[in-house]
Amino acid sequence: MRDDPSVVAMVVRAAAGDQHAWDEIVERYAPLVYAICARYRLSRHDIEDVGQTVWLLLVEHLGQLREPAALPGWLATTTARECVRVVKAASKSEWRTAGRDDSLQFVDDRAIDEEILIAERNAGLRAVFAELPARCQRLLSMLISDPPHSYATIHETLGIPVGSIGPQRARCLDQLRRSSAFLTLAEGEIAGNTQGGKARA
Amino acid sequence: MPDNTNNEELSAILRDDDKLLAALREAMREREAVPAWFVETGKNAYAWHNIDAELAQLTYDSDNDQRLAAVTRSEPALIRTLAFTSPQLSLELEVSEDGLLGQIIPPGPGTLEIHTKAGIITTTVDEIGCFAVDPKPDNSFRLRCRTASGADVLTGWITL
Repeated sequence: MRDDPSVVAMVVRAAAGDQHAWDEIVERYAPLVYAICARYRLSRHDIEDVGQTVWLLLVEHLGQLREPAALPGWLATTTARECVRVVKAASKSEWRTAGRDDSLQFVDDRAIDEEILIAERNAGLRAVFAELPARCQRLLSMLISDPPHSYATIHETLGIPVGSIGPQRARCLDQLRRSSAFLTLAEGEIAGNTQGGKARA
Repeated sequence: MPDNTNNEELSAILRDDDKLLAALREAMREREAVPAWFVETGKNAYAWHNIDAELAQLTYDSDNDQRLAAVTRSEPALIRTLAFTSPQLSLELEVSEDGLLGQIIPPGPGTLEIHTKAGIITTTVDEIGCFAVDPKPDNSFRLRCRTASGADVLTGWITL
């Protein structure tokens, strides 16, 4: 996803003063930032602190991001660094007396790369999903709900004959696979994998 | 983990309907796990975009000196002092239990804003460039100082 043109466009527009583009960036990447905070098992207060700091830093650096497409990598490393700062600050005094627990102190590059890949794939899938026609979105939403709805319920809710649900599901997924956003996602992910840790340039 | 694993995993997701649906489910679940306030906080941060103030860098923090002197000292100092410097203006800050006392250099009147992540509090800088903030902010904050002479300076984030 390093070369996802939509990410570059969002960053450029946000840097030029477009609040709507900024909101899109936040919507798209808040799950990435949040997932990393959750991995450090921070309190709500600390998650809020980290989130605010990360987004404020991004606002200040919007114009200076040399490679806007590397945004997810920048966000992931910055978030992890801020999490470490918060964890350290919280347990500073305990460390002095009780010996240090370094397990959370250092950012694990590989774990972060993995996190970036998954979060980017998820963000890409959500973007692809949002491009589907409304009827496909409704059908797929019911199919992926947890627990999944039965075909009978889908028939009652959407009015699709039970025998047509399977074929329509297949058609909607095919449509999803053919969308340009999906191709970007697939190519980007493969490129991102072969380039490994460079995503954090 | 070798790269091939991820690629094979992705190819499987692309080909297989059930796996693609499962991947979609996971993507939606990840977003649903994010609280609304978290997203809101991110959107609000845009208010900082293009703030036309000059950044004042932290140039002195007595805490750093104390760490160096910790070996020879038995009691920590009660007052922490910080200094921020920009080409237009310097700002000195004393942190005590009760609050913050500050002075701008060169001295002169103006307004001081305390930007916390929750909002902005404004106070006055008097004729000789002094200001007080009471109580002290209990979270990270930045100070923005605008003087009658036209300087406009913003510090980095300060955590006490």
